[in-house]
Amino acid sequence: MSFTLVQVIVSGLLLGAVYALFASGLTLVWGMMNVVNFAHGDFVMLGMYTAVVIWTALGGGPFASVPAAAILIATLGVLSYFLLVRHIMRGPMLAQILGTFGLALFLRYAAFWYFGADFKTLPDTLVGGSFTLGGVRFEGARMLAGVGGLAITLLLHVILTRTAMGSRMLAVSEDPVAAQLMGIRPQRMQAVAWAMAGAATGIAGALIATFFYTSPTVGETLAIIAFVTVSFGGFGSVLGALVAGLIIGVVESVSAYLIGPVYKDVIVYVLFVLVLWFRPQGLMGKA
Amino acid sequence: MNRYLFFGALVVLALVYPLLVQGIPVWERMGALVLLAAIGASAWNIVGGYAGQVSVGHAVFFGFGAYAAVVVYTHLGWPPIAGAPLGMLLSVILAAVIGVPTLRLSGHYFSMATIAVGELVRVLSSTSDFLGGAQGLGGPAMPRSVFDLSFLSATPFYYIFLAVLAFLLGLTWWIERARMGFYLRAIKDSERAARALGVSSGRYKLYAYMLSGAFTSLAGSLYLCMFGFVDPESGFGILISVKMVVMAALGGAGNLFGPLVGALILVPLEELSNSYLGGRGAGLTFVVYGAIIVIIARFLPSGLLSLFRPRPSKPAPKSEIASGHAD
Amino acid sequence: MLIEAHNVTKAFGAFKAVDDASVTVEEGDILGLIGPNGAGKSTFFNCLTGDLPVTSGRVSFAGHDVTRLPPEARARLGLARTFQVPLTFESMSVLDNATIGALLRHPNARDARARARDVLQRVGLGHVIDAPAKSLGTPGRKRLEIARALASEPKALLLDEAMAGLTPTEVRDAIELVRRIHGDGITIVIVEHLMEVIVSLAQRVVVFHQGREISRGTPREVTSDPKVIEAYLGRRKVRHA
Repeated sequence: MSFTLVQVIVSGLLLGAVYALFASGLTLVWGMMNVVNFAHGDFVMLGMYTAVVIWTALGGGPFASVPAAAILIATLGVLSYFLLVRHIMRGPMLAQILGTFGLALFLRYAAFWYFGADFKTLPDTLVGGSFTLGGVRFEGARMLAGVGGLAITLLLHVILTRTAMGSRMLAVSEDPVAAQLMGIRPQRMQAVAWAMAGAATGIAGALIATFFYTSPTVGETLAIIAFVTVSFGGFGSVLGALVAGLIIGVVESVSAYLIGPVYKDVIVYVLFVLVLWFRPQGLMGKA
Repeated sequence: MNRYLFFGALVVLALVYPLLVQGIPVWERMGALVLLAAIGASAWNIVGGYAGQVSVGHAVFFGFGAYAAVVVYTHLGWPPIAGAPLGMLLSVILAAVIGVPTLRLSGHYFSMATIAVGELVRVLSSTSDFLGGAQGLGGPAMPRSVFDLSFLSATPFYYIFLAVLAFLLGLTWWIERARMGFYLRAIKDSERAARALGVSSGRYKLYAYMLSGAFTSLAGSLYLCMFGFVDPESGFGILISVKMVVMAALGGAGNLFGPLVGALILVPLEELSNSYLGGRGAGLTFVVYGAIIVIIARFLPSGLLSLFRPRPSKPAPKSEIASGHAD
Repeated sequence: MLIEAHNVTKAFGAFKAVDDASVTVEEGDILGLIGPNGAGKSTFFNCLTGDLPVTSGRVSFAGHDVTRLPPEARARLGLARTFQVPLTFESMSVLDNATIGALLRHPNARDARARARDVLQRVGLGHVIDAPAKSLGTPGRKRLEIARALASEPKALLLDEAMAGLTPTEVRDAIELVRRIHGDGITIVIVEHLMEVIVSLAQRVVVFHQGREISRGTPREVTSDPKVIEAYLGRRKVRHA
């Protein structure tokens, strides 16, 4: 294997870890209450603007913007849950699409109105340039985003599968009535899920902003990647999102390298449809 | 009786609308745009509303129709409208190709798969020289004959769209009352129960999908005739798909007039903000637009028309049913 | 022979929910499938209807091998069913629910509607024809499922715990209804865990336990079979007996 291909795979894995992170918030609320948040990409977008604002107003880097975006988007998640999602989650699936898409438009154009349509980028030097390790070049920003993405996704997975909070959330997702009888308050757990999903999504946004352009409509592109990652991995499964994210990241960068950048999305979508053909519940979803 | 009177008044209003707004281009155009959007959303409604298979990738068919119309002009020199039947035929075939693997998927998975297929087609179209790549293709710059459908005002388009919409709604109305309509609603409510009663759910979903695709494609061809231009974003963009879903859901999916009501609300909101505000101001209007959608979803999850449907009657007295006297 | 199941096995991974079961139902029978919870009777039932594909074995209905046929094809051959947890079409009226069934043999919606009305009268839902299906309680829904199935004019009606969740009076009414349906010449297969229902309805009974058939015969024979008593009551109780 040539060094170039190793380089390509490494950058694919780093990108995939970020995909996994911003898909994990989506998969969390999807799996827990069977709600697809069509505003998810716009949550990421607001996380990105948080990073931009913190840089331009305070000169702060990711160590300031990541926690700020986490708190801000978690708050947004909880607000969305109480004001909107709680009321539409039991309704027809179309009401969910309608409501969360309305929310998406609201957030997208609020950003457009306030920040304008132009692309904003953070300076390359914000996260220490690049370095070479064993012949493979790492860009600081992508390295930080990839490792951060991996760490937060795994943390989310551990919280959901290994803690009391996680099992309470699982209980609510399986049977809210039974959970209530056991003394769990379903609404509180669902709000917690939205807070956790929001925090993960905000962090993802702040990390992506270090190497990707920020604009009001960037959420649309990112949302499609998140949707594909989540259904690919099986909804509700954070681990599935992680595996799917890494696969998609690697497939994207390898096919961009071997076939051409235009076709990388084509390959990913074809792969996705094939996965659903053989496993309609996604890689790690429950049948 | 009152209902017929009300309905008749609406039909008359639809017929004379262009005369009422004659000379005000914004409103002339708006009438045509509402009808065009209603055609697309009503076509979506067949599979998304009645059969409950929420496709978020219908732009595939819309784009096929638009490109079919422009391609017959660019490559054959025909008037664009001649591409409409071609687009419909291709869309039926395409619907079968997409539908067979994806309609097996349930709920959100189907929606996600249709999004992926839509994006796949959009990306492919932008790499195709035959389709003009990312720049897209334009129709005839100067009308060569009346068949090029190049008109100075939007009013002729208004009547063409009105005729197509009337035909589509008539067809949907007929299906609604026939076996297929019953079966589609049964599949939406419980596919398992429908199959237990002998309904070939796979086949009926596919029929609905193909029919829906054909008319969405026609909407695309008509769009091209009016605008004379299509590129990957305006043909296959995900926003096209989402708008069809949102319009139908806003008015009331699975309801004959739901998509039209949705179009009547959303299209003017969008158009007025574009023509009177523009720039950043339009941003603020879309904030309001988004908020309106959120509020309707929050308070009327089954769409605006659910306001006018009779409230579900009180639960039948249970004891009576339990001991239901036979014969 | 109307329904024949030969050596049917249904495995979920390593777990055999149904293990080598063979059951035949003659035309005009009322066959009861009983067994304690988790005995595999519902799984077996769903193998007969086609809702679950069998792992091995063969199922035939009315002279056709239906092992590989989907539920809708079996329904067209005349096999109708109800569900344990009623799956009524919730957005529709009671009449429309029954119409869906009737459309199988009467493609014209007007004819199907007339047919559906008749059936609803016959099962005692005549007074709620225009009510929304979701306004019915559990007994009403179970009855509506039966009506819907009958409207498809089946040769056999398979009832999956049609009496579960009913009060004793409602059970009596339901038993009466099933008797009447049987009187109209429809073969009945009924899954129950209420012994009293089976005893008063079934001509022949097959008892399942842990995925296997442990006894068969008339209701009287199986209820006195020690293996059945043991399966139902557990070992300790039998020792005391």
